[in-house]
Amino acid sequence: MPARNHKQWMADPNLPQGEWVDSRIYSDPEIYEEELEKIFKKTWIPVCHESELSEPYDFRTTTIAHEPIVITRGPDNTVRAFLNVCPHRGMMIERRPSGSFLEGQPSGNPKRMTCMFHAWQFDMKGNCVYISREKEGYQDRICKEDTGLRRLRCEVAMGGFVWVCLDDKPESSLEEWAGKPFECIRESIDAEPLEVFHYHKAIINTNYKLWHDTNSEFYHDFMHYHNRVTGFNDEYFARKNIGFEHGHVNVTSFEVNYDEYEGFESREELSFPKFPPNQWFMIDLFPGMNFNLRGSALRCDIMTPLGPNKVMIEFRGLGVKSDSAKDRQTRIDHHNSIWGPFGRNLHEDLIGVTGQGATMKNSTEPRRILHGRHEDNYIHDEIGLRHYYDEWGKWMNRLPSDPMQEYKAPAVAAE
Amino acid sequence: MSANGNGTAEAVKDTIYRSCLLLDEEKWGEWLDLCDDGFKYSIKAWSPEINYDMTYFSADHNHLTTMTEQLPKHNTDHSPLKRHSTVYAVDVDKDGKTATAITSLVVYQNMLDGENSHLDSGENHLFLVGKYLDKLKIENGKAKFLEREVRIETRRLDKGSHWPI
Ligand code: FES
Ligand SMILES: [Fe+2]
Repeated sequence: MPARNHKQWMADPNLPQGEWVDSRIYSDPEIYEEELEKIFKKTWIPVCHESELSEPYDFRTTTIAHEPIVITRGPDNTVRAFLNVCPHRGMMIERRPSGSFLEGQPSGNPKRMTCMFHAWQFDMKGNCVYISREKEGYQDRICKEDTGLRRLRCEVAMGGFVWVCLDDKPESSLEEWAGKPFECIRESIDAEPLEVFHYHKAIINTNYKLWHDTNSEFYHDFMHYHNRVTGFNDEYFARKNIGFEHGHVNVTSFEVNYDEYEGFESREELSFPKFPPNQWFMIDLFPGMNFNLRGSALRCDIMTPLGPNKVMIEFRGLGVKSDSAKDRQTRIDHHNSIWGPFGRNLHEDLIGVTGQGATMKNSTEPRRILHGRHEDNYIHDEIGLRHYYDEWGKWMNRLPSDPMQEYKAPAVAAE
Repeated sequence: MSANGNGTAEAVKDTIYRSCLLLDEEKWGEWLDLCDDGFKYSIKAWSPEINYDMTYFSADHNHLTTMTEQLPKHNTDHSPLKRHSTVYAVDVDKDGKTATAITSLVVYQNMLDGENSHLDSGENHLFLVGKYLDKLKIENGKAKFLEREVRIETRRLDKGSHWPI
């Protein structure tokens, strides 16, 4: 078709419902806030890795759906999560990204979370253990026993990630939620304790779902010179996308020919425990996390949506805790060459999604975004995107292709 | 510092500043000509978030040569990176044959693409702050890089970069 006039451009594509979405799902401020309430406050979110708080009294802070959270490791070695909010007058209790409560703070004692404002103190289980001048001010009307922190559902699982759910009664247990899609790499990531060796973040102007889309489709390998030369072979085109309950997706493995890229070597010599060399599995978890085990390194992306057109992506790289210095360096090099902030692919992926963000800002004309590639679920089939958006539609009770309408199932189910 | 320490320190500074000019102009080959064949390059950062001394990138002379030669095959943000550097300290070894230097570094991104170049081109963003920790060899009064560690403080790198810093 030649270039289109406005009416033609705005017309629905010649694809069935469920095979395209309306860009307002990426740009509408109301939809964004609703997603935080209906999805991010209801589902299991991985927030960090247990190796980031490896010793008793270590802590890590994070945010889900605007809510500040503190994760602690108790003297009993249990990892717990609390709202990082003081029950007195709402001060953020711990302000640093990580550290240890073993040392006392200017306002409080060692082994306590202390709110610096008026020196209320809490133990690693979230009990309030000290209110300054308690009796003098509150007599017997309010006491420590009434002013514990807000505890949150928290589990350490799937390779030692710390998962939090803001809902006290989540629809599924973490195992029911994520167990199936993790099966493909579970043996490898649970064989031994892992350790995070890489962390950096991007805050970019795009919708979080667009990053998830990029992580869920391999068609964009055309953008990556590296992947075109190391990947495009018969085995690559035999990779399948598999949808799971709850909107999660796996991309199955194949053998990557790293030596096809000048300057790179095969990664045969180092893998993960019980993981065949040069293999590569992807897990895309609803609503926006990605786990990527590629030969010697595990990558995890965690997204924190910051607005309809703004997201923070935290990038982590992981190896095996017992790595020798040499093996660790090899994992780091492998990780960085493709996925580091100065690596070959990540930069290209981030340019891609910010380019989408720029054309789909709120108040631009709604665009039709096509998810209609069918290739028997093989690698360039957009089944992963269709599967995700069908789930999204159910949680939001909105139709992805016309988000002001109520959800209805696509004519042909995404599965 | 050796008897000719001052002259050597000047040679070290000269090589560092020239390297900044060449990197700013994306003259990768000419930059690598200032580096010894055994040159080692890395970008590192301490992460208080994960309590780990991270390596974001590392490469030797060969790897940097192939990598920079392949840059035209990659899709890249076209916004040039521009360095501001000040050599804070040069220490010449006793024998006068090697030296180390610490250079304070700020890298700005001079937007060309941005998100929408119509709006963003011409604007400058702070891209990263850090230091060059260099080791150089001195021969015939000239300094060549043996090692460069770019020790950065920045861990929010947004779109990142394909280019050596
Ligand atoms: S706000 Fe925390 S002690 Fe007052
Ligand atoms: Fe990619």
